[in-house]
Amino acid sequence: MNREIELRLQAWVDGELTGAEAGEIERLIVADPNARALATELGWTRTAATAGEPERKLAEPREFYWSKIERAILHAESGQAPEAHGLRTWWHRWWRVAAPAGAIAVVLLAASVPVLRGRINANAGLRAEVESPLDDISSFTFRSESEGMTVVWVDSH
Amino acid sequence: MSKQTDYPSASDDVLVRLAQRGDMWAFEELVARHRDKIYARAFSMVRNEDEAVDLSQESWVKAWQRIKQFQGESGFATWMTRIVINLCLDHLRRQKRLRAESIELMDEEGGVERQMPVVVNNPTEGLEREELRRRIDRAMNQLSEAHRTVLILHEFEGLEYKDVAKRMGCSIGTIMSRLFYARRRLASLLAELKEERSS
Repeated sequence: MNREIELRLQAWVDGELTGAEAGEIERLIVADPNARALATELGWTRTAATAGEPERKLAEPREFYWSKIERAILHAESGQAPEAHGLRTWWHRWWRVAAPAGAIAVVLLAASVPVLRGRINANAGLRAEVESPLDDISSFTFRSESEGMTVVWVDSH
Repeated sequence: MSKQTDYPSASDDVLVRLAQRGDMWAFEELVARHRDKIYARAFSMVRNEDEAVDLSQESWVKAWQRIKQFQGESGFATWMTRIVINLCLDHLRRQKRLRAESIELMDEEGGVERQMPVVVNNPTEGLEREELRRRIDRAMNQLSEAHRTVLILHEFEGLEYKDVAKRMGCSIGTIMSRLFYARRRLASLLAELKEERSS
């Protein structure tokens, strides 16, 4: 059997031949045991494949599977690009407003640092505690937070 | 959308008509009813779970967008299957997985299948349905994308040579050659699986 006959034999098994062509192959099958064996093999392979089509079930729950489809449909209908693009657009809009405001805030903060530092030092000064455990002995304790140092001065008169 | 319709009891035809009028609840019921079949077809073609889930979901989005074009010449499930097959074919083409580069396609061109001995005893005879499915699945997994696709379109979808050729963008002669090789290889793989089990 040559290649062409084999393919015609297959076409006969698949019902793709009619009339004279089909008759010719049928005569061949009767006369040639090899042709008969090949036709039989092609036949059962076809039957097995058709009957044994594998089944497969989705592991995802119904709601979860549907939610992605629904989102895609709604995005498409609202004329929006996919979600990632939507997020990018939102970020750009937000950034256009937030960037100048942020710059102004940084400048104001930088300008107010010396003022704030002065207040902190003043507060530190207020926190310096004066102790006088005895009437005849006076002592002063000074704690500098910025220097990380405590000084105690005792005066016994 | 209406919540008064008894969607689970409605036929596909009724649900399709409702979906064509924009009823998304009806469409969701159609998805729930046919999602396994559509996913299974996608998986049979791409052999990857994640890709199959994505492609099946994409096909449902396409179906919603084209639902008004569905005239009911075929069943809804058949129409849906056509959509998912086309998406899978596009996906495989994009990934160049249908190109004649595999060893199997070179074998086919060299006529290797002609040297394969004919399997005389049907190795699937007497098998339980589940076992038959498992073996077909394993054997299909070992075929190239191009051979598997031809088998799926011809054997599972019942398409004629000319329709398979049209879908795959090949000549009828190429489809006949691929189908012949795929079947002979499938017969050989099934015979090997039977021997594995019995030894």
